[in-house]
Amino acid sequence: MLKLIQNEWMKLWSKKATWIMAVLLIVILLANAGITKWIESTSPAPEMDWQEMEMMNLASAEDQLQNPDIGPAQQDYYEGQAAIAEYRLANDAEPFKVESLQQQVLDGHMMLSLVTLFTVIVGAGIVASEFSQGTIKMLLTRPVKRWKILTSKYITTMLFALLFAILTFVSIALFSWIFFGVGDGAFLVWNGSEVVEGSYWAEALKLSVLSLASTWMIGTFAFMLGTVFRSSSLAIGVSIFLMFVGVQLVFLLQRFEIVKYYLFTHTDLTQFYTGFMPIPDITMAMSLIVLTVYFLVFMVISYWTFSKRDVTA
Amino acid sequence: MSNEKIVEIRKLSKTIGKKQIIKNLNLDLHKGEITGFLGPNGAGKTTTIRMMVGLMKPTQGDILIGGKSIRTDFEGSIEKVGVIVENPEMYKFMSGYKNLVHFARMHKGVTKARIDEVIQQVGMQNRIKEKVGSYSLGMRQRLGLAQALLNNPEFLILDEPTNGLDPAGIREFRMYLRKVARENDVAIFVSSHLLSEIELLCDRIAIIQNGELIDIKNVNEHQQSRYYIEAKPAEQAKQVLEEIGFTVHPHENGYLIDTEPEHIPGAIKLLTAAGVDLYAVQPHRTTLEDQFLEMTGGGEIAQAHTK
Repeated sequence: MLKLIQNEWMKLWSKKATWIMAVLLIVILLANAGITKWIESTSPAPEMDWQEMEMMNLASAEDQLQNPDIGPAQQDYYEGQAAIAEYRLANDAEPFKVESLQQQVLDGHMMLSLVTLFTVIVGAGIVASEFSQGTIKMLLTRPVKRWKILTSKYITTMLFALLFAILTFVSIALFSWIFFGVGDGAFLVWNGSEVVEGSYWAEALKLSVLSLASTWMIGTFAFMLGTVFRSSSLAIGVSIFLMFVGVQLVFLLQRFEIVKYYLFTHTDLTQFYTGFMPIPDITMAMSLIVLTVYFLVFMVISYWTFSKRDVTA
Repeated sequence: MSNEKIVEIRKLSKTIGKKQIIKNLNLDLHKGEITGFLGPNGAGKTTTIRMMVGLMKPTQGDILIGGKSIRTDFEGSIEKVGVIVENPEMYKFMSGYKNLVHFARMHKGVTKARIDEVIQQVGMQNRIKEKVGSYSLGMRQRLGLAQALLNNPEFLILDEPTNGLDPAGIREFRMYLRKVARENDVAIFVSSHLLSEIELLCDRIAIIQNGELIDIKNVNEHQQSRYYIEAKPAEQAKQVLEEIGFTVHPHENGYLIDTEPEHIPGAIKLLTAAGVDLYAVQPHRTTLEDQFLEMTGGGEIAQAHTK
């Protein structure tokens, strides 16, 4: 199996497109940091100092807590937000500025949608391209069972996603360090009973892992489409379309019970830690179960079609 | 030729939709023997070959390679098989060498030394590091052969291997195959629609039509000696020949007679003595093409085209 993954990895990186994606990712992140820097240096000094900002945060968090529609996860989140804001004001603990290495790393998980995009392209093409190149004939007439070949391709797609996620974080850390440097401030967390200082690296890692669930699901979906339809353009198109429209559908469906079993209600696992939940009464456990079920369905369809298919082209 | 059985096709059938493409096919292939697989377009050649290499699944029946079933022990049965299915499509964005490394990793025990050996065998050492995209068709065919030989196969399957090669390339390819069959005692199964090609290459020919095997014959079987005689006036010539005791078959503008060479000068003398003008007297060999058309009923190729 290791040799098969080695093969897939070699083919992947022998294609120019893969290198272009890597360069593109770095260029986008560089531009993002550059633009942030440029806006900071050209805009006038902020009207509010951080104390006033924290007072606003506190007020809005308390406001949210009055809202009867919020779910338990949001309740916890806003309680934590209020507690942290109070703590900052009471102890004169400044938060990170946006233009600092720390805050950029903390927000880095939002950039992982780029990784999703590239993973969709790779996942959709990794099986489909063998068919369009005609090389599938050479690949399947080896003493290796089909499910092993498909597994090696799936693992390679996921390794690619992981590598690009790491690349994203290294780039963000490097560019924000160059442009902004390490800023002042402290990272605070609410552990349920008190406010304590936490590691922003650990927090960034937690949010990224949660974000990658979405990369994983959409990547798997694209992989399935590429395997079933043998057309990478179709698979890429449908996956990217769903990536954008799928989330919007959550809002349209939110009055119906079915929304709780809808994939895109659950793909963003960071929602349990960022307070933004379109459907407030879902839980992390429920999301994980729904995602697992979808994952199994996608996998069964992929493996079934790939190992049953008569290769005629 | 050891004549040891390496491949056994047993009651093989394939149904796609409602159409039965292959009907109860039985065939054995032996070590060191090159078997040609002939048939009109749409007869089921490619389908049969694809089932033999695991690209398609038989609806019924089985294929045993080295005694192992392709259905129940795919990895075991295909272990010692080399395959070239139509044009060998390679990864164009990688070098020939990387392509070979890629396929070598999918077999057990193909060493780096073996890869180099195969490259030598097909004479590609000078360009093996270049990208496959820059190769000519002939080079790609050679690389295709190289990848099929990597695992020291005991059985080589080739589907239309000479498609798109020029005459020199075809000749070269034929030499390679003969060499491999003789030296390594490999069984080779070649499908082609180029009859003359099959005739030159193969020891044995299996003919398939409408999914059924209609004949298996050895190529160099002794042929009845025949002569073609063209003379005028034709009626009179026929009369003379019949009087001598030959059975006369009309053929093109003259007649065919079944006879041994020693009777020919006498026949010529008698014909000229009877005042017949001779235009041609020549030995007549039925080519494989004639036999093939005879067996498959002539118009079948054209019919298959229009279906």
